[in-house]
Amino acid sequence: MIRLSLLQFRIQAIIAAVTLTAFAVLLAATGPYLASTYAADGLDICHGSSCLSPATYFTASLARSPYDVVFLLSTGIILLAPAVIGLFWGAPLIARELETGTAALAWNQSVTRTRWLAVKLTVIGLTAMAVAEALSLMQTWWAAPISQAVADGSGAGVAQSRFSQLNFATHGITPIGYAAFAFALGVTAGALIRRTVPAMAVTLAIFAALQVAMPLWVRPNLAPPDRTVLPVTSLGGAGPSQTGPGGDTFSLYALTIPGQPGAWILSSGPVNAAGQPVSTTPVACRSVGNAGVSVGANESASLPGQGPPAFLACLGRHGIREAITYQPASRYWRFQLTETAIYLALALALAGYCFRRLGRLS
Amino acid sequence: MNAVIAASELGKQYRHTWALRDCTLAIPEGHVVGLVGPNGAGKTTLLRLATGMLAPTRGTITVLGERPAAGPAQLAQVGFVAQDTAVYARLTVADHLRLGAWLNPGWDDALARQRIGQLALDPKQRAGSLSGGQRAQLALTLAMAKRPELLILDEPVASLDPLARREFLQGLMETVAEQRLSVVLSSHLVADLERVCDYLVVLVASRVRVAGEVSDLLAAHRRLSGPRRDPGSLPAGQEVITESHTDKQTSLLVRTDGPVLDPAWAVRPVSLEDLVLAYMSRTGDEAPARRQHLGVVS
Repeated sequence: MIRLSLLQFRIQAIIAAVTLTAFAVLLAATGPYLASTYAADGLDICHGSSCLSPATYFTASLARSPYDVVFLLSTGIILLAPAVIGLFWGAPLIARELETGTAALAWNQSVTRTRWLAVKLTVIGLTAMAVAEALSLMQTWWAAPISQAVADGSGAGVAQSRFSQLNFATHGITPIGYAAFAFALGVTAGALIRRTVPAMAVTLAIFAALQVAMPLWVRPNLAPPDRTVLPVTSLGGAGPSQTGPGGDTFSLYALTIPGQPGAWILSSGPVNAAGQPVSTTPVACRSVGNAGVSVGANESASLPGQGPPAFLACLGRHGIREAITYQPASRYWRFQLTETAIYLALALALAGYCFRRLGRLS
Repeated sequence: MNAVIAASELGKQYRHTWALRDCTLAIPEGHVVGLVGPNGAGKTTLLRLATGMLAPTRGTITVLGERPAAGPAQLAQVGFVAQDTAVYARLTVADHLRLGAWLNPGWDDALARQRIGQLALDPKQRAGSLSGGQRAQLALTLAMAKRPELLILDEPVASLDPLARREFLQGLMETVAEQRLSVVLSSHLVADLERVCDYLVVLVASRVRVAGEVSDLLAAHRRLSGPRRDPGSLPAGQEVITESHTDKQTSLLVRTDGPVLDPAWAVRPVSLEDLVLAYMSRTGDEAPARRQHLGVVS
């Protein structure tokens, strides 16, 4: 039965092998140069806080370079791989047999259809997980200099935290969960709809919807977030923006948390001394800073005179502080494990349903 | 007498319609059984239930004493060629033989190769490029080489041209002669059945209208023709299957236990085709009612 699975899987396996090889060649061809740029920028010999400046320069210089393209391309491939697996490996698995009538051939050999499905799901499912994770590991190796620069504190250019939507879904072990789930989803859709092309469409729609819903609504709540209230003047990289006539309202977002590098900030906003959210600029502060002008994070440091630092100091004097909910960077692997486990559990549940459904198919 | 297929009040429902209902039959072993009936009688449903491709909604069916597709051992005993004789289009003929060998512990590779050789199929050819007849032959080879005790064929020759049809049935008969094998074969072409079957089951509207060995059935039926008369006046032991009347003449097909002695009748033997058509056109429960107000029926 394993040999039959492999025989029928030949073409898909060849396509997967070609894709993996092309991916490896692309990354192997560009990776060493990325590492040498990293060294040339002095990042291999810096220590501690002295790395921030070269790290920022390194990631900023990569923006809009060919490396940016390779990074986005490889990220895109890793994100798409599970969907492609679900569509072209999962959906046809049962649907094609029913559509072409070969189910009558496959299920009338001396092998029960339960065993037939068990072997197929195992062989192709494990291959799917291995392919997805192989892609991810290759890109993780390639992007190691960028990841290190991010760990050194850079937030410029191509730098993205490990919790960012793109990085979280392409590094670590989550691709394994996505691939297993997408494959099982495709098989289930095929078993229910019995026609390959509609099953592919349904698989794509459900998988895409889940991949959007997961980071937006589920992932932030996988663990209760931590809360902290910080002086507004301590916010590194945060920019106040004043809006409304005469700058009578303002907003303030935290981009990083001092002492919590790499934390995933879920929400942040100014609160008054009583802890209630505020958006009205204290009257005394309205003349401070560039009233009526929106000030972004990047400009804040370069504005002279009565710039945002003075505005922030004024807010601070009036008892306004920044309330932040966040997930600490230390929870990264816990989140990776939890999310992967969720997808694997969904995949197993779908597979279980397929076994129950299989008895009623013909 | 062991039944290769035994069904009791078997039914299969699809949403609101019954594809097969209240079907009870027992097919003895050691025969080549022709299952015949009009389209929609439930032949395909019955055979798919017998292979375990479908699960019954009601009633029971056992094949070789076990629930169909109950396990690998039961599956190994039953060979099945479906109506569309589907094979894997992208796999070669040799691939099909390999998968047969992998999946069937009782695989008879010599038989498979011999048949492929006789059919002059190129082992390297993809099954998708085979003709309909060759595809059916390949499917039959797979079903035979697993060395089943029962071979179930669902209209295997329906889509074949007359020559391919004859070759297919010839190949089937050769194997049946060599192996001790029961065969159940459905068709709506009586001519095909006449050539190969020694047992007949006529299924109409999911009910078995007649079943028995072909020679017994032929011996027990007669076509009678004579001057017009009421068939109700026939002696006991002569059952009217079909009747037709003109102003002067009556023509009957009857089932009878003994010889027809009434000199008014011209008695002729029936062909298998006559027999099948008679049972297929007989409208079950209506028949006795119609006998009473006799008129010009046809």
